[in-house]
Amino acid sequence: MQGNGFKIGCIVAFLALTIYYLYPTVVWSLEQNYMEELSPSERAQYQEEEQQKLEELRTNTLSLGLDLQGGMHVTLEVGVPQLIRELAGENADQLLNDVIDVAAERSLENDTDFIDEMVAEFESRDPDARLSRYYRNDAMDITRRSTNEEIATFLKTQRQSALDRAIEIIRTRVDRYGVTEPSIVKQGNNRIVVELPGVEDKERVRSLLKGTARLEFRLAADAQEFRGFVNSVYEYYDDYTESADTADSAASNQFNPLEEVLVPAQSPYLVGYATPEDTARVMDLLTTEEIQRMMPRSTTMMWSANPLEGQGGSDLYQLIGVRTQVELTGDVIEAASVQFDPATNVPEVSMTMNSEGARKWGRITGANIGKPVAIVLDGFVFSYPNVNTKISNGRSSITGLDGVDEAEDLVNILLSGALPAPLEILEERTVGATLGAESIQAGLNSILFGLGIVAIFMIIYYRTGGGIADLALLLNIIFILGILAAFKATLTLPGIAGIVLTIGMAVDANVLIFDRIREEQRTGKTLKASIEAGYANAMSAIVDANVTTFFVAIILFSFGVGPIKGFAVTLMAGIVASLFSAIVITRVVVDYLTQAKKSAVSFG
Amino acid sequence: MRWFETPNFDFNGARKVAYIFSAILFLASLGAILTKGLQYGIDFKGGKEFVLDFENPVSVVDMRSDLSVPLGATPELKLFGSDSEILIRTDNEQPISEVQQIITSSMTELYPDNPFTVIKTDVVGPRFAEDLKSGALQAIIYAIVIIFIYILIRFRNWTFSAGAVAALIHDVVIVLGIFTLMADLVPFSLQVDQAIIAAFLTIVGYSLNDTVVVFDRIRENSNVHKGMDFMPMVNKSLNDTLSRTVITSITTLFVVTVLFIFGGEVLKGFSFALLIGIVLGTYSSLFVASSLVVELEARTKKS
Repeated sequence: MQGNGFKIGCIVAFLALTIYYLYPTVVWSLEQNYMEELSPSERAQYQEEEQQKLEELRTNTLSLGLDLQGGMHVTLEVGVPQLIRELAGENADQLLNDVIDVAAERSLENDTDFIDEMVAEFESRDPDARLSRYYRNDAMDITRRSTNEEIATFLKTQRQSALDRAIEIIRTRVDRYGVTEPSIVKQGNNRIVVELPGVEDKERVRSLLKGTARLEFRLAADAQEFRGFVNSVYEYYDDYTESADTADSAASNQFNPLEEVLVPAQSPYLVGYATPEDTARVMDLLTTEEIQRMMPRSTTMMWSANPLEGQGGSDLYQLIGVRTQVELTGDVIEAASVQFDPATNVPEVSMTMNSEGARKWGRITGANIGKPVAIVLDGFVFSYPNVNTKISNGRSSITGLDGVDEAEDLVNILLSGALPAPLEILEERTVGATLGAESIQAGLNSILFGLGIVAIFMIIYYRTGGGIADLALLLNIIFILGILAAFKATLTLPGIAGIVLTIGMAVDANVLIFDRIREEQRTGKTLKASIEAGYANAMSAIVDANVTTFFVAIILFSFGVGPIKGFAVTLMAGIVASLFSAIVITRVVVDYLTQAKKSAVSFG
Repeated sequence: MRWFETPNFDFNGARKVAYIFSAILFLASLGAILTKGLQYGIDFKGGKEFVLDFENPVSVVDMRSDLSVPLGATPELKLFGSDSEILIRTDNEQPISEVQQIITSSMTELYPDNPFTVIKTDVVGPRFAEDLKSGALQAIIYAIVIIFIYILIRFRNWTFSAGAVAALIHDVVIVLGIFTLMADLVPFSLQVDQAIIAAFLTIVGYSLNDTVVVFDRIRENSNVHKGMDFMPMVNKSLNDTLSRTVITSITTLFVVTVLFIFGGEVLKGFSFALLIGIVLGTYSSLFVASSLVVELEARTKKS
């Protein structure tokens, strides 16, 4: 048994490590069972008292993927073209906009970097032109003389920092929302993957993630001018119906397309009311070229953020006229909190501005007493209260909210800051908790059945050798779990499939060895010599076979996303663990048995 | 128990038959893929998927006609595991919350006495689906290239690399072909999605496992039996390792069958791919990979 001392040392060390890493998982599940049995009040008390211990256990537990415990997985993309456009600020012109549009499309088509495409497109239009005219930035050392290459580097840095900032902001928002163990990671140079275990309210999460939190204070549209516009719009569509009338008598019953979808309003700042389904149609009608030409230049139209309850309980959104010019933005907000209107007990968000904001807010309100000021968030009007007096203490509030949840989310979004660029949801996957529980059960059943069948087959086919391989197999599964826990990997359903598959393939190394031992025995060698030769000769095939599979697992890990990564990780852990248990552990056991009793070991 | 104690099958002698068999399967698969096209799942096609779990069994046909009008286009509907769980796939481009709203209100109307819950939703944007697809393709290509290089380094012989890689491509194309041909015949989803790509790469790894063990024996035998002709030596190596090849295939087939039966609906297509892949991978390492090496060796020797 020369050299086996070292092997036994390795096995003991490996086992000890595995137990160390799996211990929290075992204790955690025992704790959970214990807490299940307590009454809710006892449980709350227990959780309070043992908070630190529980927290520690939880973070060191082998975590389950969203497909097993239920939850929401979202992939977001930072709108890089919008970001680059906004960086140019007032310098942006038609040429730049065109270049950005072309580059955005091309980078999508060719799967290339947007900024590289943008520089190439810009230079193709005029080789001597410099992008620096859009992006002068003294703080970043970008002058008029900067080359296009320098600008490209500058823009890429900006993109990177925008992505980092977006991740920070989302983390803050998600933390405040109160998800346990959220995972927020960067993917590539413009994507963010967010995983939220146990989340049920999808709609709320979507708005939480996507809201850019661009808060604006704008004056309402000039009442007289805007009313004139609205009247001419209605007249235009009335004429439109009449002309259709005369042109084709069959269409004499044709409705006015605008009045079909928009309820006219009498207020000086409103175009009208529409149901949620009709809002898109209304915008189609109002953004036609003819209508746009009638519109006062300094004015734009925006929807209310929340609907009013119309007749018969149907929801109606208001279309409101506001000035194009932004008077004040959310940068000036220092604090925000949920308050309740003392008279009606309706929630609202009260905001405090910094001194500069307060000064401006005072000037704006002072100059517009008696007129409405619209409070706009992400392009939707939350409220447009009339200014009664000059407000000089820098306070303002957002009313017209749809309940306390919305108020809290809004405070959360305002306080975590504005996203540098809009985010788009590219992918969203949600798994319910029950489906997750079913998957766990299915996975466990598969592991147990698979293990059972393979174990019995091995004993029948290889006798003692098979039994030893089975022992190795059992340890192998425990090792895999230990490795996963040690690397803080997440166990997913494909991961469980990976374990099941490993059970089938893990015996391969032993099959190679045992078959080789049988071959050696046939050549007339003694048992001991056959074992020696069997292990030695099988080694190169075992190494080659496993190295190639390991490569495949690495490729799966680098290219796959989400659950596939989980599969790849278990496959890798499975290869390492099965090599160790099939080569080292079985050898020690086989050696021990052959030494103890000369004929104790049989390979069938 | 001992199977194939001292087998003496003429694998290389049977290679002509194997070539014809493989060629038919390969061409039929290629034909099916090219004419019928791969049935992409939501990962590679994009769209919105919902799984509803009803309290009592429901009729897919009723649902399909009832959802066609409000969803705009005919949605894809199928049972998801049991006959009270339904998967609905639609290309409707409205925001997910509105699409879900349409589905839930239509279903409540259709089955007022059969309450349901939405147990799973998946939304993949068309652009993201495109990215996933090119990622998957890259993964398979990289896997094949790396394997070619590894075998080249380990065995110092390009014919071994070529034989192994040809066998891999053979296996993957035929599994894809079977997927395409059987998609409508089996009661579970055989759409090509990310999980299937993982299964393919596993098949690649498995088939290679088998092949490499045989190659390893060929290398060993060519050192031991120096004067032997190449073809009989390959045949001897195949026979030497046959017991191991069969036993490992059996244990792996056991567990994959278990996974197929007990693994749940989500893993059905995945384990089905592995099931075919293991049978095919075993066949290809016995009849295709080493035969091609023999063929290529003979040709390079002549010239």
